Amino acid sequence: MTDAGLLEAAAGRDHVAFAEIVNRYYQPVYRLMWRMTGGATEAEDIAQDAFVKLWQNPAQVREAGALKGWLMRVASNGVIDRSRKPRHGDIDAAPEVQDPHARPDAPLDRSQAARVIDQRIAALPERQRLALSLVYFEGLSNIGAAAVMEVSVEAVESLLARARRSLKESLSSEWRELLGGMAETGR
Amino acid sequence: MEHGKDPRLDQIFASYGADRARWPASERSLVDEGGEAAREAHEIDQLLSLASTPALPEGAASRLMQRIAEPQTAQVIAFPPAPRRTRGTLFRLATAVPLAASLALGIYLGAKGSLDFMLPSAITGGVALNDDPPDDLGGVGEADIYAEESLT
Repeated sequence: MTDAGLLEAAAGRDHVAFAEIVNRYYQPVYRLMWRMTGGATEAEDIAQDAFVKLWQNPAQVREAGALKGWLMRVASNGVIDRSRKPRHGDIDAAPEVQDPHARPDAPLDRSQAARVIDQRIAALPERQRLALSLVYFEGLSNIGAAAVMEVSVEAVESLLARARRSLKESLSSEWRELLGGMAETGR
Repeated sequence: MEHGKDPRLDQIFASYGADRARWPASERSLVDEGGEAAREAHEIDQLLSLASTPALPEGAASRLMQRIAEPQTAQVIAFPPAPRRTRGTLFRLATAVPLAASLALGIYLGAKGSLDFMLPSAITGGVALNDDPPDDLGGVGEADIYAEESLT
């Protein structure tokens, strides 16, 4: 069934149709929130809130073809609202667990490298992080990302370029080590 | 930017990376000359590919469906009723009469000028008592005097 059909059925309080919408879009919306919150536990709550708003009034989505973008926009607005409150339970706040057998000069393993990259992405300014998450990680087109962010395509491109540049600068000390680790693991 | 290269290509590398599949469809025909921008974009892509791919937590979809299945009741907290007035008419009169009397006395004394000696001179002095004719308050009538002074 198309998104338009599912929305129409959901407007008639059809739980099965709504469950299908959840099945289609909960994962990408959650992933986006996970990145936007820096892996905080509240990512699930924020993603959930977007779906609850949809359930309360499915007619809010004026263009059924843009349902995924609508959910992402509502969730993004939710995370921006919450970001003004003190954060807790995110990647940065989590205590660093030291491996007693680790050598300081050893190349980072895959999970350590992922953690470093996640931390640096989480530290990007909010709008740069959102643009990068939408386009790079969620595969939205520049037009789709611009619609979610309610900005122009040129603004999205500028945010993406700044995000990538900031990321490179923030990883300057680990840059070679990370790339070297990738070469060792054959990636 | 490298010499002779399409400047848009550098922007594309900077924003979308080196993977042509991630470029806007309309820009994929641009010729990649494999310069510094392409190499740097490729390295950033490699690093981004190391990022985690979070999975939906166990039971998240069920929790969401359970939440929408609950009746959506408005959370209304009633305000406590306003306390009843306990002060009677007599109390209100006892406050209002002295206030009205002092207002009337103030107007009477002010109009009579009995209290002018207590007021600052800015109110009762020369400025306030300016007796210039009303059509010359702007000083236009003295313009020729000033003009003569400046000539001499």
